[in-house]
Amino acid sequence: MRNLIAFLQRFRIFLVFALLQFLALLWYTTFLSFPRNQYLTTNNHIAIQLLEWEHDLTKHFNLSKNNTDLQWENIYWRKRQPQFMYQLSRGKVKISDTLYEQQYTYIPAEVINSSVNRRNNYFTLNVGAAQGIKRGMGVFCQQGVVGIIHYVSKHYSLVKTVLTKDINIDVSIRMKKTDLPGLLKWDGQDPRYGMITGINNDLRIKKWSRVETRGGSGIFPKGLPVGKVSFTEPIEGEALWKVEIRFAADYRRLQRVYVIKNLHLAEQTALEARIPEED
Amino acid sequence: MNVVYKHTIRFVIFAFLQAMVFNQLNIGFGIHLMIQPLYIMLLPFELTVIPMMGIAFLMGLVIDIISNTYGLNTSSLVLMAYLRPIVFKFYGPREGYDPLKEPNSQDMGASWFTVVYGILLGLHSFWFFLLEIFELGRIGFILQKTIFSGLLSFLLALLIQSFILNSTQKK
Repeated sequence: MRNLIAFLQRFRIFLVFALLQFLALLWYTTFLSFPRNQYLTTNNHIAIQLLEWEHDLTKHFNLSKNNTDLQWENIYWRKRQPQFMYQLSRGKVKISDTLYEQQYTYIPAEVINSSVNRRNNYFTLNVGAAQGIKRGMGVFCQQGVVGIIHYVSKHYSLVKTVLTKDINIDVSIRMKKTDLPGLLKWDGQDPRYGMITGINNDLRIKKWSRVETRGGSGIFPKGLPVGKVSFTEPIEGEALWKVEIRFAADYRRLQRVYVIKNLHLAEQTALEARIPEED
Repeated sequence: MNVVYKHTIRFVIFAFLQAMVFNQLNIGFGIHLMIQPLYIMLLPFELTVIPMMGIAFLMGLVIDIISNTYGLNTSSLVLMAYLRPIVFKFYGPREGYDPLKEPNSQDMGASWFTVVYGILLGLHSFWFFLLEIFELGRIGFILQKTIFSGLLSFLLALLIQSFILNSTQKK
């Protein structure tokens, strides 16, 4: 016993150091996979209040550019509205169309805190459980995919963006004949460029071919823009391409985003839960 | 001014400047400006290492909570607080430090400050980026981030000292 106390006395500095270091590293390593405590994120009241003040100060910095973007988006949809089109054949009876059913709804949100220069970048949105946000919903902006909701509090939520280590959104490269499926990753260097893994090198990939979401997991609808292929290179010793893409969205200047709610998700997961598990 | 008050006020200012201003800046080239190591550096000489690690832990916690980095700042600040007495002992004068002086560039001289703070900041930044990237294959990128961020943060530290020392030492 005395030896133990003497040992603790002698190494107490190192033991305290090891304890504090252990706590910090535990926090760091566990949060990436599953968030446990909302008070240790920006979703607590004090940090949110500070960020709101800061956002009030800085939200006007990119205002004119954001307004122009929104205006272009409005024009894009206005052109597709039937009541603004010239009617070629008149006098036909219009019946309500039941062939299409709405599958996705969108919740508008504003980014109040963001970072792009870390290894794992999270955005804070000003919508939360009160607006119907749930963990695992997809987030996109006008130009492209942003990320997946990682943590939700009552009025705010945290997005795990595509600029994180293990985001793994399923995307596909649009080609003339077939689409090539792959997984989107980020290597942590430049917020303008991402990577796609798991693409076999039996087909040539054209530069600047479009990359879109595949819509397999029910988080994103099919065909949301992600970016364009900017660079390909064969990986040595493997039958795979190393594909680098340029993101369509500029995450450094992001302000307004949409959260996607898939109305069919419960149906899809209930169906997929019936797949017999292999042991 | 009372030493405790002075360092408490500094704690608040440094933590919020780091979290709200310097963490939001995006300069490019992997540069991440850090002023929180300077706060640990400027704590008084006679503070023992265990309370210092506690202060470092708190500081890291505040910054991590505001900027969503989950323990990254905490871990590297605690490491720096643990290493500070060791580096101080190594580069200290033979008769020990004068408790009336502060570990800054004005009281201790620019060359002492450059060597000691350079070593501590370098180790802090290296640990920070090593943890953040956590891939040994990308050691070149880690070193690039460490060197660029370290150099700029050092210059920033000199600048900040010229502000706070001028205002506090002319009593």
